[in-house]
Amino acid sequence: MIRVLFFGPVADHIDTREMNIEFSSGMTLQDVVAMITAQYPTVFDIVSFIAVNQKQVHDHKTQLSDNDVVALLAKFSGG
Amino acid sequence: MRDPVRLQAEDFSQDDEVTALKASSQCMGGIATFLGCARDFSEGRSVSEINFDAYGSMALAEMIRLREEAIQKFDLIDARIVHRVTTVRAGDNIVFIAAGAAHRGPAFDACRWMIDELKKRVPIWKKEITSEGESWVTEHP
Repeated sequence: MIRVLFFGPVADHIDTREMNIEFSSGMTLQDVVAMITAQYPTVFDIVSFIAVNQKQVHDHKTQLSDNDVVALLAKFSGG
Repeated sequence: MRDPVRLQAEDFSQDDEVTALKASSQCMGGIATFLGCARDFSEGRSVSEINFDAYGSMALAEMIRLREEAIQKFDLIDARIVHRVTTVRAGDNIVFIAAGAAHRGPAFDACRWMIDELKKRVPIWKKEITSEGESWVTEHP
């Protein structure tokens, strides 16, 4: 299972903080992005970063492993 | 003594944080601090509350990295970073940063660097509650 987390403006935009996606061998970050976009077409209007297991990832061809945690993050506004 | 890097809902005491910083060494000749607090006005609107959300584990890990980098980069003796994740009202404390060094120059520089980097790197978001509704702040000034 891939756990996908949403916070702040992204969570409010799609009215959810978490979703699970069934893992399949060879799955990439692009596959997850495509599935999320299919369900929430406008979410990437406000997503600026994607983290996999708490590390920012820029390459959507990154292979995922079962139990990975993906987070879609808007531009930060702390401090 | 509490951890030098914390995300917490409850308010913090600047005096306690500086006391804790000084306790780590008597070699500090200069301690620079930054306190971020909630304003009651933003972009022409009156703000009644600010609500914070965070990717907690990632935010804390990044803040710990930030402190370690600052210590290395500016040759600090010690540093502390505390950020609240809760709902605050105008005037309330939000974030505290303290940098202790042998001399004031590195302490000032490190303090500024840490808050600037925190705003860019740490996954925390703030939502302003105003008379016109609620909106997430998406730019970090």
